[in-house]
Amino acid sequence: MVNIGQIHQTKSLKQFVYSVLQGGVWAALLWPCLLSLGVPLECKDEQGSITRCASISQEKLLDRVIQHAELIYRVSEESCTLFEEMFVPIPMRSQRNQAGYTCATKAFPIPGSKSEIQQISDKWLLHSVLMLVQSWIEPLVYLQTTLDRYDDAPDTLLNKTKLVSEKLLSLEQGVVVLIRKMLDEGMLTTSYYEQGVAPYDMQSEVLESVPRDYTLLSCFKKDAHKMETFLKLLKCRQTDKYSCFLY
Amino acid sequence: MMWRGVGVTLILSLILPVVAQGARHTPPGKPKLTSCRSPEKETFTCWWEAGSDGRLPTTYSLFYRKENSDTVYECPDYHTAGANSCFFNKNDTSIWVNYSITVVATNALGSNFSDPVDVDVVYIVQPHTPENVTVVVLEDKDGPFLRVSWEPPRKADTRSGWITLIYELRVKLEEAEEWEEHHAGQQNIFNIFSLHSGGVYIVQVRCKPDHGFWSEWSAASYVKVPDYIPREQSMWILIAIFLSFIILILTWIINMNRNSVKHCLLPPVPGPKIKGFDKQLLKNGKSEEVFNAFVIQSFPTRSTDYEDLLVEYLEVYVNEEQELMLEGKDLQDVGCLKSKGPSDSDSGRGSCDSHSLLMEKCGGVESKEESSYEETELLQGQAGSWERLEMGDSQEVDCPDSSDGRVKTWLSVFSSSIHGSSDNHHLGTLEVPKQRSVPDNFFPTSSSSHHHPEYRDGLGEYSEYGLSRSPSARAHHHWEAHHLQAHRNFNISSLERQRDATALGLPPSQSMGYVQVQKVNQENQLVPKPLSSHGQGPFQVQFSGAGEDYSKVNGVNNYNVLLLQREMAEAGLCCDYQVKVGASEQSCPTQQQGKMDTHTPAATHFQESTCLTTSGYVDTATMMPTF
Repeated sequence: MVNIGQIHQTKSLKQFVYSVLQGGVWAALLWPCLLSLGVPLECKDEQGSITRCASISQEKLLDRVIQHAELIYRVSEESCTLFEEMFVPIPMRSQRNQAGYTCATKAFPIPGSKSEIQQISDKWLLHSVLMLVQSWIEPLVYLQTTLDRYDDAPDTLLNKTKLVSEKLLSLEQGVVVLIRKMLDEGMLTTSYYEQGVAPYDMQSEVLESVPRDYTLLSCFKKDAHKMETFLKLLKCRQTDKYSCFLY
Repeated sequence: MMWRGVGVTLILSLILPVVAQGARHTPPGKPKLTSCRSPEKETFTCWWEAGSDGRLPTTYSLFYRKENSDTVYECPDYHTAGANSCFFNKNDTSIWVNYSITVVATNALGSNFSDPVDVDVVYIVQPHTPENVTVVVLEDKDGPFLRVSWEPPRKADTRSGWITLIYELRVKLEEAEEWEEHHAGQQNIFNIFSLHSGGVYIVQVRCKPDHGFWSEWSAASYVKVPDYIPREQSMWILIAIFLSFIILILTWIINMNRNSVKHCLLPPVPGPKIKGFDKQLLKNGKSEEVFNAFVIQSFPTRSTDYEDLLVEYLEVYVNEEQELMLEGKDLQDVGCLKSKGPSDSDSGRGSCDSHSLLMEKCGGVESKEESSYEETELLQGQAGSWERLEMGDSQEVDCPDSSDGRVKTWLSVFSSSIHGSSDNHHLGTLEVPKQRSVPDNFFPTSSSSHHHPEYRDGLGEYSEYGLSRSPSARAHHHWEAHHLQAHRNFNISSLERQRDATALGLPPSQSMGYVQVQKVNQENQLVPKPLSSHGQGPFQVQFSGAGEDYSKVNGVNNYNVLLLQREMAEAGLCCDYQVKVGASEQSCPTQQQGKMDTHTPAATHFQESTCLTTSGYVDTATMMPTF
């Protein structure tokens, strides 16, 4: 199946058509993969049919995933700072729970401390990451459209949000592959919608949307840090499982 | 009593407020949370500052509420972190969760709440300083360098990836003022290059999580760099030495070739390059010798033999008409024609021999005394060298007694016309009459004439030449003076030739004689003086039929050049020969004036007439360059 998530990135009909065509080509080439919802990152080794693509080692893949996460976090932090400077008055900057906007609660509990995290298994770490990533795909798209409606939104902010949302998709793909490799689990669907993500009102006023967007950016920033931390802990566990738990 | 009570009341009422003010109790002022910090993202501490305490013992308590929960908790630890602090240990710390913290100040009168502060532990991480900062000096091919190494703060869990720290260090020389900062990333080692040799450096390190605050700088580490010569400096030293060697060698080479270099750079100023010109003589002041030398050498003669340079004779053909003319003129001016000057100035110097000179030489002809040409000291203006030359010439010349018929000193007399001319023609060309002024008293007395019978012939100086000859030859004294341009060959007609010529016979109609030019009349004409002594007319040849040739002086130009008129007979040409006179020039009307050159007074008085057909007899004296 084609990664439908990529359709969000097409801005014009032409790009849309192109992506559809690309997906069709992929479908035609990887028709054995259609049975299993494969992410076109990796070729299946065991079936032996499409063994020509080079596969990446698990360590390198994990490193790349971590780099993605780091980048996402850094860019999201910069975006939040930019937005804060442009649109949020000073007295309200440190308050995140204003006007009732809080970060969306997740469908699963996220560990809150190091000790708790260390008690979580690898599997759950990975799944948590995946769920986090998937929960933010849609809101980021929304954020992009919202920011476009701002009159004086700086271009750097728009570019950063766009970059973040792209990288997030890549991150999702990487995590999926990781899950498959590390956990030997089956293919997971890259979701379009994740339950628990409240649909946002797209037609709200700009004035109302400032605190909401600010909250959105802040929460995303936090979640990006979560992803990064989880992945790094996971890496430690992969290399030296014993010493990671000393603290 | 009542007054006392009132007074006490009054006093108390006055005092009490004052006392009471000092002792007023108020509820505590508002406390304020100053900061919360977490060193390792696992615990954190919050500090607050108290407001006014209202002079009552005040207690502070901290309450917090976690995000998405309404449960209020109180600070678990007030003491670990010091006064006015609250320490949250690991169990109480949740990351990625907003804490809403409030401090409450309470005293007996009331309490006061601080403003709530939202805290997320992740964003308040400020680690401790890096530990074990060590600096080592290592050697490299380019020189020494510093290697700085450190460890992360003890409590930060970077190994498990819980915290990712990035480091930064700064270096400076001990005496410098500004730090040089370097970003080290996540590594624990850093190299510093390009050190000052012998300097003492200070190094400090600090760290920061990717989402927090910078730590404090670590303690300063001192390190001394050993002395060394920087590669750049040694390179410059080598280059300097090399260049100095090259300069030394170049200087030596230039010094060796000093002269040629000098010649090349400062070419010598070309001095006057005149052949035969001896600068030393000039410097010595004996210019005459110099000129003599010059004259001799540059005299474009065919033959270097001095003897040959002598003009043997000058042949003058004078027409009878002209004689008459001249006679007429002479008669007019007889009175004052006599020029009695002691000096002998040749008329126009046409005759290169000054008869005076020769006379002296020949012992007795008091030419000097008697030959005086007044205005016709034609060649007086000339340099004495000429006379000297003449003297010299005359000295070399045999006295007229010699049978050689040597003639006087005509130097550099050229005649192209002589070239290849037949004797006849040659003879004809000899017909340049030349008038020479011969003073009356030139002609010697009988006594002298005895010595020189030639003089008796009345030829005066011309007779000298004639004297030297046999009477038969006397008739033909050919003086050949050809003034031409310097490049013309000097042709001296030999006596023999002339003898032949004469043998061929001068046309008897031609009377050859000579005239004494006594003066130059006002019209700038040379006025010949008849030879009174002989009474045969000025143009009568005293010799036996032999006529000497004299050139008629046509005039004198303003360059003291006698213009000798050439008889127009044969050639029909009239060329002027410039003989140096002191008068203006006259030119024959038919003269080919175009051929006359104008020359500068300073230039030589060469005869420039290009009457090719004639053999001009000109005073070769004019040929002599005057200096």
